[in-house]
Amino acid sequence: MKQIINIDINNEVHEVAVEKSDTLIRVLRERLGLLATKRGCDSGGCGCCTVLVDGQAVYSCMTFALSLEGKKITTVEGLRHDGKLDPIQQAFIDADAVQCGYCTCGIMLAARQLLNDNPHPDEEEIRKGISGNLCRCTGYQKIVDAIKLAAASR
Amino acid sequence: MTLNKLQEYYLPADSKEVAALLDKHKEGAMIVAGGTFIHGLIARGLVTDIEALIDVSRLGLNYVRKEQDQLRIGATTTFIQLEASAEIRDEPLYGAIRDALEYPPPQVKNSATIGGCVSASCPYFDLPVSFLALSGVVSAQGSGNSRNIPLSDFFPGVFENALVQGEFMNELTIPVPSAKSASAFLKLETNANDLAILNAAVWVSVDSAGKCEQSRVFVGGGVGEVPVRAVSAEQALQGKVFTQELCVTAGQAAKSDVDPLSDHRASGAYRKAMTGVLVERALKQTLSRLA
Repeated sequence: MKQIINIDINNEVHEVAVEKSDTLIRVLRERLGLLATKRGCDSGGCGCCTVLVDGQAVYSCMTFALSLEGKKITTVEGLRHDGKLDPIQQAFIDADAVQCGYCTCGIMLAARQLLNDNPHPDEEEIRKGISGNLCRCTGYQKIVDAIKLAAASR
Repeated sequence: MTLNKLQEYYLPADSKEVAALLDKHKEGAMIVAGGTFIHGLIARGLVTDIEALIDVSRLGLNYVRKEQDQLRIGATTTFIQLEASAEIRDEPLYGAIRDALEYPPPQVKNSATIGGCVSASCPYFDLPVSFLALSGVVSAQGSGNSRNIPLSDFFPGVFENALVQGEFMNELTIPVPSAKSASAFLKLETNANDLAILNAAVWVSVDSAGKCEQSRVFVGGGVGEVPVRAVSAEQALQGKVFTQELCVTAGQAAKSDVDPLSDHRASGAYRKAMTGVLVERALKQTLSRLA
């Protein structure tokens, strides 16, 4: 039996009917059509589905939707502000940090938390900050470069 | 895979409500908090019959408190909250906790809770091995009173714990020893997001002459169905002056205490060899923290 919840995504409260077992990624992609958040392993191993809950990066495939009442969720769709890309999004373009792009949305949100907590991370801190996200194309170097660029652009 | 039989997702506000829900749904109920463990089980088809999830994350059990004779950690304290707590920072005694928190990625640290990590009784987890070395005690809340279960009695087998029907874990306590002591933890892993090939945690107390008074050495991560206490390593340390050489001797002794599993991560022989290495290195780290 479905249950109605109010869920704050990107500063917009959505009233949505969810199954009790629904994960956040299912609500985002299948109930609300917000497709930027990607489903990868669906069991907390790859990081593609990373979103922010109250500013903290979490795996949306491991988060029950019904646990989220009263919390603020940020997906990549909510990263831009005042019509401008987030400095992290711009840096990923400028540093050519995207190949197939499947991991990118998750990594940008992990990077967002990293830079919120630590505006000027060193390389080791950056690599640790994205250690919960797999990329099978880039070898990570350009992703690390992009995050450095975003940090420097503030 | 999904939870096809799930009928209710509860967010109780206090322990009494949890007890009533556990009583109502009995074995059809499962306690959740961060959710990081259950989704792994669901994805592998290991949990299918759950009728009710009881989310305990709003019971106010997020706290780390230092009292005179013990450290109290609320069951729904997340890894990141524990890592950020001033109570464990810079304190040699809690080195093994800080070490174990170095490994998980941010997404896990932000969600996973101390209570979930312990009561999951997964033999590949890291923090429980540190808590074992530190003589941790689980507080089990039932419908009436709570009772204390030493962690050394808490893990009867893989994915099994000593909680009985109607109980849930609401706190972990770690005693503060009277003697000078320190601890350390090390994990061997294939990548940043994988379970341990092997892990080891040690705690050592020394007297004023630098001799080992008491020690607790535990090896986990696929070494057996539950973490193993390396008694031979502890005996090798007992009463001796704590030195680099003694760390090597005790590490070698630890190998005789384990008969590790072989799986896709590593062979049993490799795990046995690495037991000596990890215990030695964890002891050396402990020694440096005592300096």
